[in-house]
Amino acid sequence: MSANVVSMRDALYEAPGPKTRRRVKIGTAVSIVALIALLAFVIRQFYINDQLNPRYWSFFARWTTWRFLLTGFLGTLRVAFTAGIIAMALGLLLMLGRISSVKPLSAVCHVITDLFRSLPSLLLIYFFFLVIPKYGLKMPSFWMITVPVALAASGVLAEVFRAGVNAVPKGQTEAAMSLGMTHGKIMAKIVLPQALRIVVPSLISQLVVVVKDTTVAYVVSYPDLMQNARVLISNYDALVSMYFVVALIYIAINYATNRFSIYLAHRSGTKVISRTEENPV
Amino acid sequence: MGVAEVFTEFGDIYLQSVLSTWLMTAVCFAGGLLLGIVATVMRVSPLKPLRVVGDVYVQLFRNIPTVSLLVIFVYALPYLGATLPYRTCLIACVILIVSAFASENFMSGINAIGVGQIEAARSIGLSFTQIIRHVVIPQSLRTTVLPMTNLLIATLLTTAMGSQVPLKPPELTGMVNYVNSRSVAGISAFVVSAICYAGTSVVLGFLGNLLDKKVRIIR
Repeated sequence: MSANVVSMRDALYEAPGPKTRRRVKIGTAVSIVALIALLAFVIRQFYINDQLNPRYWSFFARWTTWRFLLTGFLGTLRVAFTAGIIAMALGLLLMLGRISSVKPLSAVCHVITDLFRSLPSLLLIYFFFLVIPKYGLKMPSFWMITVPVALAASGVLAEVFRAGVNAVPKGQTEAAMSLGMTHGKIMAKIVLPQALRIVVPSLISQLVVVVKDTTVAYVVSYPDLMQNARVLISNYDALVSMYFVVALIYIAINYATNRFSIYLAHRSGTKVISRTEENPV
Repeated sequence: MGVAEVFTEFGDIYLQSVLSTWLMTAVCFAGGLLLGIVATVMRVSPLKPLRVVGDVYVQLFRNIPTVSLLVIFVYALPYLGATLPYRTCLIACVILIVSAFASENFMSGINAIGVGQIEAARSIGLSFTQIIRHVVIPQSLRTTVLPMTNLLIATLLTTAMGSQVPLKPPELTGMVNYVNSRSVAGISAFVVSAICYAGTSVVLGFLGNLLDKKVRIIR
């Protein structure tokens, strides 16, 4: 994919002549200076507000800080993977229901899929945090964050699975039918095994959305990375450095996950289906 | 407390909160598109440093969780000499994140055009500006209608982060909190907010589909 990006970017321009080359050189120099100025301004803001003081950064050299953050990170992973697995199972069921020939079942699954796709995960979290307990159901904080995140993701995953099923050529279903296979058998033996392989990169890229959704776990006071960072902030009285470091950790994880899914898609010759590419609600 | 009672008691503030959610969505989406265009221009410019910065910018704001960015704006920036109102913080965060995804949409719209068309345009003597105006922009806009519709719906859902900071009036997700802290509304407040979100999404999705059918390029 990246090779394609570069070629299209470069294709927009003709091979530069001497005049253009000079202008590009000047533009490059000017933009580098502007970037350095911007960077200098940011560092200056940190400096004059005393945020570069070692007491805000030195504790990052201590193992205990990282161990505590790591504990939180494991909490994030636990929620993300559990939610991911539930979402996959539920998404698959919703998709199978939606493409089934039983009209009422198909309609119900369609509505549920679209509903989960059109509600913010935070609203679902508040539902499990504020509303459900009022009806006498006590849930541990782990499930109060995991279930709503899973529900929100299941709607998107149902659409991803459906795109995968649609990507399997129709001729294969027809061939299987002419061999006398039943609908269920065709789904289980012919279509699903191929569809699942097609959507593997998309499932992995969806993990990014799940990880992002787990960052509000502090609402239900579940100790994830963000929540543990908040504890460290009050322990060390160092807010700015901690919030920036945590943001960078999240960016690094999500970036790596995205790259991995693109790599897998590239290797298997498929496309990553994200929320932006499927049908709107 | 039933849905009807929620309306009689909190009807006014609910109306304000729906309007505020819609307004924030519109502002954030428009701002995100504009900033996304800037980022895209940087990414396709012939200047290497600008390309790198554009790419890094998009990767940063594509991958950062909204809450993580919001806490930096709300709690960290005051330490760095910039105290902004809560609503400004929220809108700025959502705009930054939306712009990264908007730029990705624009880039894939541009990439879908194909090198051959640019070469063809150049061989019939179109200048750079003409190529951009008559070949690149119209086509990339037409192919991005559906992704942008999804981005608009995602923007609507992202404004729910407003429930994490005190806003007046609260937006739709914050309303669930607001109503629940003032009465035993139970499920009603949740249902009202959910209907507002789902209804808005369905309408936006329908309009997007309609526009997409009109302008889609069959390749």
